[in-house]
Amino acid sequence: MKKIDRMQVEAELRKFAGGPAFIHSEATSYVFVRNFKVEVTDAFIAGEGNGPYRAALRFDGHGWLRMESLTHYEIDDQGRLLLAGFDDRGRMDVALHLGKEPFPE
Amino acid sequence: MNNMNRNTARKLLAVFAHPDDETFICGGTLAKYAAEGADITLVSATRGEMGRRMGNPPYLNRETIAAAREHELREACDCLGIRELIFLDIRDKTVEFTDEESLTARIEDLIRDINPDAVLTFHERLGGHPDHCAIGKATKAAFSRAGRKDGLYYISFGDMMAVPERFGYTRSDIVKINVSEHLEAKLAAFRAHRCQSEIDEWVWLPDAEALARFGMHEYFIKTELAAPLVNDDDLFQSEDSGAVFAFES
Repeated sequence: MKKIDRMQVEAELRKFAGGPAFIHSEATSYVFVRNFKVEVTDAFIAGEGNGPYRAALRFDGHGWLRMESLTHYEIDDQGRLLLAGFDDRGRMDVALHLGKEPFPE
Repeated sequence: MNNMNRNTARKLLAVFAHPDDETFICGGTLAKYAAEGADITLVSATRGEMGRRMGNPPYLNRETIAAAREHELREACDCLGIRELIFLDIRDKTVEFTDEESLTARIEDLIRDINPDAVLTFHERLGGHPDHCAIGKATKAAFSRAGRKDGLYYISFGDMMAVPERFGYTRSDIVKINVSEHLEAKLAAFRAHRCQSEIDEWVWLPDAEALARFGMHEYFIKTELAAPLVNDDDLFQSEDSGAVFAFES
């Protein structure tokens, strides 16, 4: 994964706005949600300088998903947007993935 | 492998939850028995795909980690001498929520098919992680359902069972395996699990320094229903179980 470039990730997030998406979301030590399907209405990323960054999705006309501590991203070979937050020793703290198809169960 | 070898080899089945359990907890013992010719089958309930460690610096993400950990486990199995690896394809962190009946039945089938001389799994209370406790509970039930009484052992962490009384056990419940001759294999397997071990600097020190971090012994707990131990330094209680098979062949 690469360090988040805010402009780049913002452009990638916007590609998911206005349509259905499958979401994988986790706060690694506490919770994960895999494959909830939502209609993304808006997608945001915020944060200063070199991050870490915050991301948020508005979905289904009445929903929010907000996450912080994001540091890295990748567009994988299936066109999925993978965002993650790692600590300074490479351990994952959070992850937020968006895809047009379900993630493997 | 010819029939003679297959028939004479003692068989060991290890039923664990995540790639690296076999190495980090009892890698020395598995390497020792493999070196002595035992046929070892490792079952991993999950691919450890929900872990926090992704390399240091991270080289994996949540979607690539499952394949990478499978690959690293296969390499660790080569280091230890484990020839058979079976995944139960359960998602990491969800073993305790998997249907217990079908999980137990799958493990029972494996025990009946393999007919191992010894089975290793996690203690259902002292396992230290919900996945560990769940796979241990299912394996214990499967062992019993397969009509087996002797030969099931719970693995334990480090030297916690050097003083078993702290956990309600006595020395007569504990098998203590000397692994001092097999620490190189254990270290190689640690390094094979790169995405998990990279964060631990000592693993990557020069071999002599890294090897010095390992204990000389690994400890196993006899299950409640098993007969009193004949040997407290060997998981195979019947010295000649292999020889009996050889004689029959």
